[in-house]
Amino acid sequence: MATTLRFDGLTKSFGTTLAVTDLTAAVHPGRITAFLGPNGAGKTTTLRMLLGLIRPTSGSASFDGRRYDELAAPVREVGTLLEATGFHPGRTARDHLRVLRTAAGLAASRPDEVLALVGLTEAGGRKVGEFSLGMRQRLGLAAALLGDPPVLVLDEPANGLDPQGIRWLRSFLRHLAGQGRTVLVSSHVLSEVEQTADDVLVLHRGRLLRSGTLAELQAESAGGTSVRTPDVERFQQLLAAAGLTGRRTGLQELVVSAPAPAVGEVAAAHGVVLHQLTEQVGGLEEVFLALTGESTPTADSAPTGQNSTTGKP
Amino acid sequence: MTNLVRAELLKLRTVRLPLWLLVTTLALVLLGVLATVLTAGLEGAPLRRDDPELLARAVASASGGNIIVLILGILTLTQEYRFGTATPTFLITPKRGRILTAKLLAVAIVGLVFAVVSALFALAVSSAVFLLRDGLVARWDSAVLEVLLGAVLVMALYGPIGIAVGALVRNQIAAVVGALAWTFIVEQLLVALLPDVGRWTPGGATSAVLQIGDLATTRGELLPVWGGALLLVAYAVVLSAVAARLTLRRDLS
Repeated sequence: MATTLRFDGLTKSFGTTLAVTDLTAAVHPGRITAFLGPNGAGKTTTLRMLLGLIRPTSGSASFDGRRYDELAAPVREVGTLLEATGFHPGRTARDHLRVLRTAAGLAASRPDEVLALVGLTEAGGRKVGEFSLGMRQRLGLAAALLGDPPVLVLDEPANGLDPQGIRWLRSFLRHLAGQGRTVLVSSHVLSEVEQTADDVLVLHRGRLLRSGTLAELQAESAGGTSVRTPDVERFQQLLAAAGLTGRRTGLQELVVSAPAPAVGEVAAAHGVVLHQLTEQVGGLEEVFLALTGESTPTADSAPTGQNSTTGKP
Repeated sequence: MTNLVRAELLKLRTVRLPLWLLVTTLALVLLGVLATVLTAGLEGAPLRRDDPELLARAVASASGGNIIVLILGILTLTQEYRFGTATPTFLITPKRGRILTAKLLAVAIVGLVFAVVSALFALAVSSAVFLLRDGLVARWDSAVLEVLLGAVLVMALYGPIGIAVGALVRNQIAAVVGALAWTFIVEQLLVALLPDVGRWTPGGATSAVLQIGDLATTRGELLPVWGGALLLVAYAVVLSAVAARLTLRRDLS
């Protein structure tokens, strides 16, 4: 059941533009791995190379050492949901799945089973042209599950889902990873990743900036303490005398690179009035800012339909 | 391969397009039969009303839907790109040559169905017109059967040619417009002005299989029936092979 995905020096150039540069990483079974990066970072190109739709300029991507086109029965081994995946608008959802299951030689009962899994049983007889974006995402997910595969590769699966849909997706992915499956999910939404992933691969401008567990990455940005005091300049000097560095971030605000108790003790010892003393919780946004030195991916988790059409190569 | 062909046939059965194309095909057959029979004997018409070939010429209209089957082939391929269904199709079957082969076979089968329906319809309409209109002489000879078989063959082979054209061009509008311009303008000009070249075009090969058409009535000579049929098969196979090598392997993003 358990399959490990590997990217090995994966590189793709479109003309003179490097879309993905020397990407090396592993994605492990039983965990949800988030593939994080802003639109245009090269996530979709990477996933399409993994799935044999785009040929790498160099390097390789494999499932337990086999390229996608070397898999004996791809649908039974890898379930996929890609952004540009289309549906014929005049075909019903059930017929769409029947076509796929026929081509893959799966049991005739599978289309109805996966429709039930994603909550589309009622809508199975309707034409996909009448579907909302969220329903299409569910249908795409149903198609990914058709072959009951040990690996799931999902490109921006939260796109177009409403808040309930996103919550459902999160627990669904957790359930699938809990069964020992390998789940790779791309996203440009930081807060979504923070609530979903075990491991994170951070991609920016086609390069892998960082890989590790979500906990590791969050810990990197933790440790600072934010302080509000009317006596900013004096407190800054007192901190410096105590060997701590306070960086001014506002009229009455400082961020100190030390745990809260140490900062509070300096204030108490010199009778400085504090209006606020907060230990900063590490956030992916801070990690991302630190890694890229520029704008963050979208920080809100609100699903936006327009994302499905932007940032593609 | 059986699964893939069945899946391709299911794709065609689960959308409306083939039904409309069949209706259009039968309309063309009807027009073809009526135009052939009702103009017979008029001034400037190629056939007299008691021409021994009149019935055979009339039922030859069973091949009138060849351009429709060609378009069905083109759309079968190009709609995969237009609607983005090429992605799931290629994910299920990463070896794209197998998909192309399955589509060639599926569309040939659908072409055969169109052909048989067209042949029966052409026979029925012709019989009715010959019965109802005075002065027409129907000759039921082997030529009628040969023309009908030729029409069935042509219909079965134009779909695969359409698949190949679609795979080469990939853009739906460009492929359809190009195919229509080729059939109605380029081929007509070649047949009329350069019959030595014209007989080697798909249109020339079609005339050869039916043993009728502009070439037969003008100065050019047609290929033998088997030569025309082989030429049509060659067009489908060679164009498909070129598409498999050149366009089908391109990145799908």
